[in-house]
Amino acid sequence: MFFLFVFNLPFFVLSQSEPKTDDFSMALKRINEKHEREKDFNKSQYFFLKRNWDSTLVCSSRALGKMKDSELLDYSHYMRGYSFMMKKLFNEAKKEYGLVSQDFRFYYKITRNLGGIALEQNKYEEAISYFDKLEKLSNDDGHDLLRSTVIHDLGLCYFHLSQFDKAEKYLLKSVRLQEKDTLLLISSYMDVANLYYEQYKDDEAIPYFEKAYSLAKKTKDFELKRNATLNMAVVEENRKNLSKSLAYRKEYETWKDSLNDQNKVWEIAEIEKKNAVEQKQREIGLLESEKQIKITERNGFIVSSILLLLLLGMGTYFYGQKNKINKVILVQKEALNQLNLTKDKLFSIVSHDLRASVNAFRSSNKKLLDGIANRNYEALDSIVHKNVSIATSTYNLLENLLHWATMQTEQLYFNIESIDLFSAMQQIEYNYKPLFENKNLYLENKIPKAVFVLVDLDSLKIIVRNLLDNAMKFSKEGGTVSVYVHDSNDNFQYLIIEDGGIGMNKETKENLLKEGKVLNKKKNQKGIGTGLGIQLCKSMIGKNKGTFNIESVEGEGTKVIVGFQKFMKNG
Amino acid sequence: MDKINILVIEDTPEEAMALQEILVENNYNVVGMANSHQEALTLFYQLKIDIVIIDVFLDGNPDGITFAETISIVPNALKPFVFLTSSKDRQIFERAKLTKPFSFLLKPFNELELLYALEIAVEKFYEQTNVFSSEDQDTIISNDYLFIKKKNALNKVHLRDIVYIEVENRYCNIVTEKERFVIQISLGKISEFLDTKNFMQTHRKYIVNINAIEQIVLNDNLLLLKGNHKATFSGKYKDIVKGFNILK
Repeated sequence: MFFLFVFNLPFFVLSQSEPKTDDFSMALKRINEKHEREKDFNKSQYFFLKRNWDSTLVCSSRALGKMKDSELLDYSHYMRGYSFMMKKLFNEAKKEYGLVSQDFRFYYKITRNLGGIALEQNKYEEAISYFDKLEKLSNDDGHDLLRSTVIHDLGLCYFHLSQFDKAEKYLLKSVRLQEKDTLLLISSYMDVANLYYEQYKDDEAIPYFEKAYSLAKKTKDFELKRNATLNMAVVEENRKNLSKSLAYRKEYETWKDSLNDQNKVWEIAEIEKKNAVEQKQREIGLLESEKQIKITERNGFIVSSILLLLLLGMGTYFYGQKNKINKVILVQKEALNQLNLTKDKLFSIVSHDLRASVNAFRSSNKKLLDGIANRNYEALDSIVHKNVSIATSTYNLLENLLHWATMQTEQLYFNIESIDLFSAMQQIEYNYKPLFENKNLYLENKIPKAVFVLVDLDSLKIIVRNLLDNAMKFSKEGGTVSVYVHDSNDNFQYLIIEDGGIGMNKETKENLLKEGKVLNKKKNQKGIGTGLGIQLCKSMIGKNKGTFNIESVEGEGTKVIVGFQKFMKNG
Repeated sequence: MDKINILVIEDTPEEAMALQEILVENNYNVVGMANSHQEALTLFYQLKIDIVIIDVFLDGNPDGITFAETISIVPNALKPFVFLTSSKDRQIFERAKLTKPFSFLLKPFNELELLYALEIAVEKFYEQTNVFSSEDQDTIISNDYLFIKKKNALNKVHLRDIVYIEVENRYCNIVTEKERFVIQISLGKISEFLDTKNFMQTHRKYIVNINAIEQIVLNDNLLLLKGNHKATFSGKYKDIVKGFNILK
């Protein structure tokens, strides 16, 4: 047979579970309010009510040294005794209790506690004497709970002294008294059950065990549950009902575990908490890194979008620029095409004319050779003169070509200075007189001396030569070409070259005057002429800041009027 | 009157000959003919020269301009030039322009053009433009010479040879020891350009070379000059003569 796990906790501890509401604590508060000046007492009672036993002891020892009031002394000693008792210093507690005077209002409490101490110290007979005193003392209803615990403890004493009939009497009495308090009731049930069990009165014990067990199930007190379950297990084991016993044992183990594991549970909880925190931390880290990645991605996106925008902007800019350039190029291309066309045309006309004149020269030379062979010397003179004129006009053509080329490339040196028109005309006349005479024409220079104009001498010569060539070309046999000036009131001196030739119609005239119209192939021409001459004249006049005009009557003659800036002596 | 001395710098013999022919025909004196830059320099410093005719291109290099640049640096050595060229290449001309006032002549040229170019060169060099083309003047006055246009050509008279000048309206009679001729120039122009150290006006009509005065007859207001020439001085200019006498 197994030994029972006997549960016999003295009830005096449990009875003091609510010190604030019981009579003693109320009395203590009242006393305290009465003696507000006793600071140490105040503190000690405060700590006492807070169940802080060490502080209570320290404060009360200080209070004891100062106080003389016997009531306060009694309270202090009681508090000290109680504190010692709670700290299981039972002998010290006894001494303190002994210092409390006999007429202390709660002296019965001391008796009760002394009994409890005796019970705790296994001095059962001493305990019984205290409890007997108490039982006689307290018959008021207010001490019900106290009484029930006293009776219970009395029962326990008798139980330990193996006076089972007395123990049974007291324990059952306490059970009856303790129906209000479940915890006490469970303990009492178990004690009663143990009592019967010890006496091998199993049939009486088991119902108490079961009652205790079923009640314990409802409470939250693990110790009670455990003990109740263990008791049940032992009972079932002793009844050879092993399967049930095992079930109780297991339940007991769980309660025991839960009791033991209360701390472990805490630790586990701590660890779990830690784990959870770590988990969270890791998650936070993960989130943070994700955020970092997102930020990086976003930055990358921003940077790349900016770059793209820039690229786009640059692209657009360069595209626009390219378009602009293209337009310029297109315009230039057209101009170049025009120029090239002009040049090609010029080329063909010039080469055509050159070929014609060289051909004329060749055939004329052949005639010359024939004349020499036939000794026809009279004809030679005219042939040679003809040759000279062909050579001259060819030379003029080439000269114009050269000037045209140098003008176009802006390579011509231009030096505008004051020039005497008469001298210039004289120099030109020097070359032209024979040509005119040869053609049976007369050149008349009617320019007075000392007419100064601002002009580049060489370009003036080119202009006048070309104009004279034209005049010569369109003059009738025996005609006169006169050159004279017309002084006007504006700043211009007009040089007029007049012929009595075939003239020209309005259309031709306008065509000649038209700006930039290059190379008008003239109708009434047999000899050399490309239109280059007049064009060269116009651009050279332009360069000299002069004016150009034509007056012509068809069949009567033409006046070409060129204006040059006057040279003013004082500026 | 003396002929103008000309130095011709031309590397093409035919052109040089043609030039010489024209110049001689027009009463110019061709004192030297050079066909290289070096020779030109030698002749230039050796001879007494009034005008230089320079072909811009000597053996294909613009040495003519180099020559002009060289003599431009030497003080007082510079003379009027005429540049000869067959093309009016801008670069060459811009460079030539830096030398000094100059005249240029585009090949091919005729006689009149050459003569005109010589006149212009002298006009520009002595900074008296539009003289030879004008109707009222045919003389340019330099420090040493009078350059006078007679017919188509220029002549010169050394100032120190002049005894006196007699002014008559728009004309002046230039009297030297040996000859006497008329030039067209106003009294104002003469006074402006003639050196007052050597010439002074003694009368409304007379300008006398101080160095040519041999005797002063105060009573008759008469100056006896070199070569038995006489000139009068009027009361208006008497003081100057007096001062001059005292100085003497």
